Amino acid sequence: MRSRTPLPLWILAGAGLVCVSLPVVALVLRAPWDDIASSLRGAGASEALRLSLVVSLTATALSLLLGVPLAWILARSRIPGRSVLRAIVVLPIVLPPVVGGIGLLAALGRGGVVGQWLYSTFGLQLTFTTWGAILATTFVSMPLVVLATEAGLRSIDRRYEQAASALGASPRYSIRRVVLPMLGPQLAAGAVLAWARALGEFGATITFAGNLAGRTQTLPLAVYETRLSDPGGAIFLSLILVVLSIAVLVAMRDRITRAR
Amino acid sequence: MRRLVSLTIALVPLAGCAGTGEDTSELTVFAASSLSAAFTDAIGPAFEAEHEGTTVVFNLAASDALAGQIQSERTADVFASASGTWMDAVQDDPGVSDRRDFVQNLLVIITPPENPAGIGSIDDLANEGVQLVLAAEGVPVGDYSREALGKAGIANEAEANVVSNEEDNASVVAKIASGEGDAGIVYESDISAAAGNDVVAVEISDDVNVIATYPIAVVTGAPNADLAEEFLAFVTGPDGQATLEEYGFTPVT
Repeated sequence: MRSRTPLPLWILAGAGLVCVSLPVVALVLRAPWDDIASSLRGAGASEALRLSLVVSLTATALSLLLGVPLAWILARSRIPGRSVLRAIVVLPIVLPPVVGGIGLLAALGRGGVVGQWLYSTFGLQLTFTTWGAILATTFVSMPLVVLATEAGLRSIDRRYEQAASALGASPRYSIRRVVLPMLGPQLAAGAVLAWARALGEFGATITFAGNLAGRTQTLPLAVYETRLSDPGGAIFLSLILVVLSIAVLVAMRDRITRAR
Repeated sequence: MRRLVSLTIALVPLAGCAGTGEDTSELTVFAASSLSAAFTDAIGPAFEAEHEGTTVVFNLAASDALAGQIQSERTADVFASASGTWMDAVQDDPGVSDRRDFVQNLLVIITPPENPAGIGSIDDLANEGVQLVLAAEGVPVGDYSREALGKAGIANEAEANVVSNEEDNASVVAKIASGEGDAGIVYESDISAAAGNDVVAVEISDDVNVIATYPIAVVTGAPNADLAEEFLAFVTGPDGQATLEEYGFTPVT
């Protein structure tokens, strides 16, 4: 099969690979490796990395907690207007993140539709807080969990559940012992995609949660802020993100392909 | 496929248009983004009205980006920079003539209309719990803000109150207009240019204010140098200065 791949295909594929990989290679080439230690310290890398991990992992957990039930409703229930509902749920995937940020401000900002009430009643403010960054990140990454999970649910033969219920299993028991185990690879794939997306989130976070080191400044925001004052530091911060993302994608590759 | 070909053919003349900067009646002005409203809404149309058949094309961006573009593209007639630093860069390469300071911009504190933190002066920015939004360090207005806070002797207290370091002036205004932050520091021109913005200005006294001075010059090798000279004369003349004052700038006197 491989020997029959036509040459033009190889050339176009090669061009595609260069297009995707050249910027990353250029980052490696342009990094001022001689002052790596001082650059990383100066750019506040460890603080941004810690915050990025906290925010992205929490957002992934939230995406699973809320996204899986949503996917269940979309795949299994007979509610009217389901396709509209699905479009609304996955909208953040196609929406520019900055639009999501403005929407979050309008909804949950201190002067927002709901945020106003949260602030005046409970003194609760999400903007400029780590929870605000987590919320903005969840907004953009949850749809990936929903899509993967819904596809998984649709591919499961419902006769397994019927058999379980015929054997006396309660619906809750059959979800826990029959459906969820079969859904495993899809859940993992959704979680990984959501986490990778969460790691790179920028627009919604900076718009809604602002940019403060140690509180809302995740790696992408740190890259953006240091790129003018410390281009070398910005490159190292970028490379941390690149390495993290590649590690996530490579480590979970088997699970994703198995799910397909 | 045929549709693709005809589309390509249709686009070719357009691409040609973009390259013809030789038209003698077209003036290309590279201006700092803080000048956007004043230049595109008022100065440009007024200059065109005074010079029959002239079109003024504005390229508006951060001054550092403009300086880089001027050096690599060499299509600018006039450069209006928000700081002397970037004009110096252009003066070194490719060179400028007739350089002069044409306008100043003062820092101002902004708060949401209801002024939740009760900010009355720059000293109040040191009060505990004030949610202060500044432009990030490295952004000119962010550096100037910190300089002013330093002059007021509250650098550390204010820095501890910072809840967000924004990427530019407009983002600071947005965070305050939406009521998220209690106070921010921007240029006076930022809030008068965006008259629709729902913010209240609190003046910073002259002894601690930091003044940004804007230079303007004709770029060496300008495709349209004569018209560029006239544009400079217009901007620095009484009408131009009065217009800039309307947009929140302080005329250079």
